[in-house]
Amino acid sequence: MSEDLRTERKGQLLAVKDLPTLPVVLEEVSKLLEDPNSSTQQIAKLISRDQVLSAKVLKMVNSPIYGFPGRISTIQHALVLLGFNVIKGLIISTSVFELMTTSMVGLWEHSVGCAMACNAIAREAGFKEPEEYAVAGLLHDLGKVIVALQLPTAKEEIDAVVRQEDVLYLDAEKKVLGFGHDRINAWVADHWNLPVNLKIGISGHHRPVTAQHYPKMACVVHVGDVLIRTLEVGSGGDDLVPRLDPEALALLQLDMSQLDKVLDVMLEEIEGDGLSMGLG
Amino acid sequence: MLFGRKLRFFLVCADRDRVAFFQGLWPPDQVEWTVFQRGPMALEQVFNAPPDLLLVDDDLPQLSGPTLVNMVKSENVYRQLPVVLCLIEENPLEDMDFHAVEMDDFLVYPLSPLEARSRLSLTLHRASRELDANPLTKLPGNTSIIQRIQDLIDRKEPFALAYVDLDHFKSFNDKYGFSRGDEVLMMAARVIVNTIRSFAGKLTFVGHVGGDDFVFILPPDTVESACQRIVESFDGIVPHFYDQDDQERGYILSTDRKGAMQRFSMMSVSIAVVFNTDGRLKHFGEASQIAMNLKKKAKSIPGSSYVLDRRQE
Repeated sequence: MSEDLRTERKGQLLAVKDLPTLPVVLEEVSKLLEDPNSSTQQIAKLISRDQVLSAKVLKMVNSPIYGFPGRISTIQHALVLLGFNVIKGLIISTSVFELMTTSMVGLWEHSVGCAMACNAIAREAGFKEPEEYAVAGLLHDLGKVIVALQLPTAKEEIDAVVRQEDVLYLDAEKKVLGFGHDRINAWVADHWNLPVNLKIGISGHHRPVTAQHYPKMACVVHVGDVLIRTLEVGSGGDDLVPRLDPEALALLQLDMSQLDKVLDVMLEEIEGDGLSMGLG
Repeated sequence: MLFGRKLRFFLVCADRDRVAFFQGLWPPDQVEWTVFQRGPMALEQVFNAPPDLLLVDDDLPQLSGPTLVNMVKSENVYRQLPVVLCLIEENPLEDMDFHAVEMDDFLVYPLSPLEARSRLSLTLHRASRELDANPLTKLPGNTSIIQRIQDLIDRKEPFALAYVDLDHFKSFNDKYGFSRGDEVLMMAARVIVNTIRSFAGKLTFVGHVGGDDFVFILPPDTVESACQRIVESFDGIVPHFYDQDDQERGYILSTDRKGAMQRFSMMSVSIAVVFNTDGRLKHFGEASQIAMNLKKKAKSIPGSSYVLDRRQE
């Protein structure tokens, strides 16, 4: 594709103003914010289950206005730094998805599931701050949401290619747009001053071992994505399971028996906690 | 009352009617006007005993209004004095270079008394707000802090006053540079403000003394849990302000005061809390003296910590 077309599309995608989210989530978060007894932890936990609200909160706290761009990668920390007033403002200015197609609901569930998986993997691998990995898992498909909003026609074409040719969503994106959601994620991460580790996590999950910095972040999201697709939770836009990169497992120093353990943890959490606040 | 005390305004104006107009705006026990017909005379008085507000006519003989304004404003000690330029008609606005004339506001004759009163009062309040704010965090500075505390002491209101400062901030600044240091100060300010704000009540206050020193005020019964939350949030967030390798190592290498390489721990917070219960404090100075002694104790504890002055019990 021509460089001009790519630049034009990049501009259209980054111009995204209002990322809408699911009505259920907004309602729940608003309720908690109105209740003087709710704690930052409770609100953080709820926001951490919505990729759009999480992205908005992280974008805001890492904006130069607050004076520490690129530093904050967890929702809990973001809430402490932003304060409830700003969060309330963010919630008020978030609209709901009018046209919530089944595929979008599926994507939400897939994202929440991936966040859970990344958290479990990071804990199994013994990493500090598994929350950061969960955030990367939650946001790893944000580029798909942005395409659906900003380039709806392209989104339909991508869906059609997936149906007709039975390929990975990523490959269909490349065919239609000339680039995939991983690339969009990298653009957005730069544009929003997100921390480098988050950027790597959300932009490197399809080619994890090539990441120069924070390769473990990319590897965790890669493995999490594959696992949650294997469990068939939600939908990443196609019915295929991406190939698990054995090098990613090696880099994380995880073996198959540990992955089994992670799967058990995930199944337990999905059964116990429910996935998507009554979405599906 | 404009400010709870009698104010001194200077007016530089050669027109008798305008002088009478301004003098009629407030009763004499609220505002005392000193009128100058010529700029040079006013200048000497302003330099010797700056007023609360300076009004200058644009069309002065000898020394023009804008020149006078700039002579006052170019001196850093007088920069904070609010200066209003009075214009005769709207035409001069066309040629006004707002970048070059450093006035704080302007008025255009003819004026209604209500508008003149409101505009001047707004200018005064705006100046007092801006005057004392810390330029980095925009939090109130020393003047406001001292006023607030002395006011609570005078009213015999029970309160807890906490002094917060960062441990090992200097070594962080030395290694990473002042702009990374500023990031940490902004973060600390947000953590303190949001924690204090979550304890609703009119007693709450946060100020920035300067550098890595902050203060906050809370009702005595809530201060300990606020300290705990500040410590917890700060400790959780601060590692992200270090480079990845330092973060993993858990300390930084930097030069100490004698120029030798030394290990410095990650930054932490020390909080010293003084209570004013049963009106035991008489003066702001007492509060800060007690706090400084407590702070030494808090600083001697490794990592983040808070120390409460329990003497009131």
